[in-house]
Amino acid sequence: MTINPAIDIRSLRVDYGNFVAVDDLTLTVPPGEVFGLVGPNGAGKTSTFRVLTTLMEPTYGEVILCGVDVIEDIETARRIVGYMPDLAPVPSDLKVGEFLEFHAAAYGLGTRAQRRERVAECLEEVALTDQRGSWCKALSRGQTQRVVLAKTLLHRPRILILDEPASGLDPLARRDLRQALRKLADTGATVFVSSHILSELAEMCSSLCVMNRGKLLASGTVQEVRDQLGRNERTLTVSLLNRQQEAADWLESRASVHDLRVSGQQVVFGFTGTDDDQADLMEGLIQRGLRVRAFEEKRSSFEDILVEVAESNRNA
Amino acid sequence: MNPEISTHPATRHPSWKIWANPIFRRYCRSRLRPRGLGVALLITVLIAGFIFFLSRAIGTHRTSLSLLDAERGSLIPLLVLQALILFVLGTAQVSGGMTAETDEGVIDYQRLIPMSPISKVLGYLFGLPIREYAMVFATLPFTAWALWKGEVASNIWAPLYAVFFTSALTYHLTGLVTGTVVRNRRWAFLVSIGLVFCLYTVIPQMARFGLVFFKYLTITPVFEESLPGLLPRTAGAIVATGQKLAPEVKFFNLGFPEAVFTAFCQGGLILTFIIMLCRRWRRTESLLLGKIWATGFFIWVQLLLLGNALPLIEPGNLFPSREMSRRIMDTDWAPQALEAVGMSGLYGLVTLLLLFAMTNIITPSAEIQIRGWRRVCKEGGSSLPILADAATAFGWVFIMALAGAGGWYVFTQSLVESRWFPGYEVPLSVLEWCTVVMLTGGLGFHALLEAKGGRTVGMAIIFVGIVPLMIGAVLSVSSDRLIPAASWLFGISPASAPLYASATLLSISELPQNLARSLPRAFYFWQTVSAISTVWLIIRLRIARKLIAESAIIRDTTAK
Repeated sequence: MTINPAIDIRSLRVDYGNFVAVDDLTLTVPPGEVFGLVGPNGAGKTSTFRVLTTLMEPTYGEVILCGVDVIEDIETARRIVGYMPDLAPVPSDLKVGEFLEFHAAAYGLGTRAQRRERVAECLEEVALTDQRGSWCKALSRGQTQRVVLAKTLLHRPRILILDEPASGLDPLARRDLRQALRKLADTGATVFVSSHILSELAEMCSSLCVMNRGKLLASGTVQEVRDQLGRNERTLTVSLLNRQQEAADWLESRASVHDLRVSGQQVVFGFTGTDDDQADLMEGLIQRGLRVRAFEEKRSSFEDILVEVAESNRNA
Repeated sequence: MNPEISTHPATRHPSWKIWANPIFRRYCRSRLRPRGLGVALLITVLIAGFIFFLSRAIGTHRTSLSLLDAERGSLIPLLVLQALILFVLGTAQVSGGMTAETDEGVIDYQRLIPMSPISKVLGYLFGLPIREYAMVFATLPFTAWALWKGEVASNIWAPLYAVFFTSALTYHLTGLVTGTVVRNRRWAFLVSIGLVFCLYTVIPQMARFGLVFFKYLTITPVFEESLPGLLPRTAGAIVATGQKLAPEVKFFNLGFPEAVFTAFCQGGLILTFIIMLCRRWRRTESLLLGKIWATGFFIWVQLLLLGNALPLIEPGNLFPSREMSRRIMDTDWAPQALEAVGMSGLYGLVTLLLLFAMTNIITPSAEIQIRGWRRVCKEGGSSLPILADAATAFGWVFIMALAGAGGWYVFTQSLVESRWFPGYEVPLSVLEWCTVVMLTGGLGFHALLEAKGGRTVGMAIIFVGIVPLMIGAVLSVSSDRLIPAASWLFGISPASAPLYASATLLSISELPQNLARSLPRAFYFWQTVSAISTVWLIIRLRIARKLIAESAIIRDTTAK
């Protein structure tokens, strides 16, 4: 039996006049995943999320959430989705409890007592029980984010769409958020989360995709994304006791080596080959009778790769 | 599936249960907090009490009025206070509150909650101004006392307060629509207050020039009808005598009570506003009205304009000079021919402006057209459904233009062929020219808007519609010799076309000598230019629509 994807985006395009915010995005997210959407500002993340949450009709394309077409069946799609927008706004004239109770009532979550109970549960989940009577406008940024997360969880959505949920949170709160999202995913919910704090997403998500200027650049696990972006690159440093120049000449003749420079006893170069190629390289140096003292590998961080991709796209 | 993760069964909030509406209750909570409400009520009660006791004291001690008449003295000032609270503060609160929701970003949450659009509209409509309702409620004991002790009959105050309520709804809906359409909070506030101001100042003035219907969008007619019963008896009797001379209102010779007719007129507008809001709540990108509704609304307004105006022609009450003649007790009054020409021109102008407004509402942008084609491709169709937002509004604008021309012609014919201008007839060629004016104006505006977008239309309005009028005005007051040139310049603006048409085509009035040659020539010349431009724009529109359709179909095929 095939399992329907929780989120199925096909050839999505969003235009604002002549500006293309999302360009031909095709993506599937299986159920129960914490899936990350990474990209710099203006990548098209928020536009994608607004289409997924029925807040915007795309110019082209289809979006299916748990088998429901969000363009054709808005009402059902809205019951499936929980959305936490960027900056997580809250009304300035309500208290936390009132804000959540209003949404619980609007979603028709049982009797008044049941709604109050559900609000208490959600506040507990985001560790804000003691703030129930506080004014929304008096909360810190991090607390506001958590209140909106609680609101998003109220109706137990099957798909949670969180736009930059970690921004403004302190490290402790981020850890709690990570745990909360994992817990939700364990119960079967699909979490689609965006961020430009890449390390955060890499830790939080089981898989992710990268967008830039409206286009999908890569998707999969962190390693797969790295491979797809063609940035499986590392910097190798070979420390030699003798014949550094000879080693440099030999290394330079290898196809996967580039940007080589000799610095004292060290030969530093970029390497794009596979792990096997790297092992062959070491073996080759030793076979040539070179006295290799140390062999150091430094991989580009995921963040570096994305910054580089974004930069290259911007320049293009 | 894990029981934790479930789609909650759809709980529909019955729209009529306002008190159970979550949005309404949310505003009851936030706007009826004891501290804020307490201050508002205190101020209201103080002012209402001051008005009540001062009026009563003046009536009792400073005039020779009986106690019963003195009690009535506070009714009108209290009504003004209530109108200020509910009409002005309430409308500002509705439009400001709506834009604040957009501004803060919480509107998206409300979009996502599974309530029907009508429930959301009603929740906001009654929830946002709830404090203002409470403030008006606080003044009611004073009003009730004055009505009781002043022995004002219920058939006087009941219709008045019923129309007071429908007027408040009309204005609040104006604010709600403005708050929904205008994104900027400050602009929304200004526009809604401006609209309410216009409804009470500008629009009743149009009623003086034959467009009586517009008066019924305000509380004024019912208030005037109730006035004799609200005033002290002697003053009331004088007003009642004066009212016997004033025009009575009829709708195609059907006798309606003022309150019923006002409710009927306002009801149509209220319904239209609610439809607009529901469409926007259902889908943010929707046009404000569907094509049938917009066309129906246009025809309905035409019927109301004609229905109110035609019965008033024979007694002469439609003519603005009649009221003046009554004031100066002129028994030999007869309408001026130029007056009739001006009224005909104004009717045409208002119809044309309404046609522009309706066209603007139902004309799809390029994005809407693309979305429409995407849906058609998805469903395997080959053309846009005629009623879809994305379908061209051309046919509907055509129908409205014909209806507008028909209404204008009927009005003009009834006016000119009335007993006031014996021997004059309005030939069928006038209908043809009325149709040309409406078609070139309406279709030209539509074709430009649909093919080139709102920005181009905005520039065209400024440089073709307004600037020639400004330059013409400066020229015409600079020297009499420049008046013919000014008339040519005025003629560029489509807004002048109905006035020029009436002045040119109606033989009842001779034009002033310095306009006799230039104005008809300018009219025919600019109408020819306008007709050629409209045909060219329609061709451009067809090309633009074809390109959009082709690009959408190609895009869809590629995606598959």
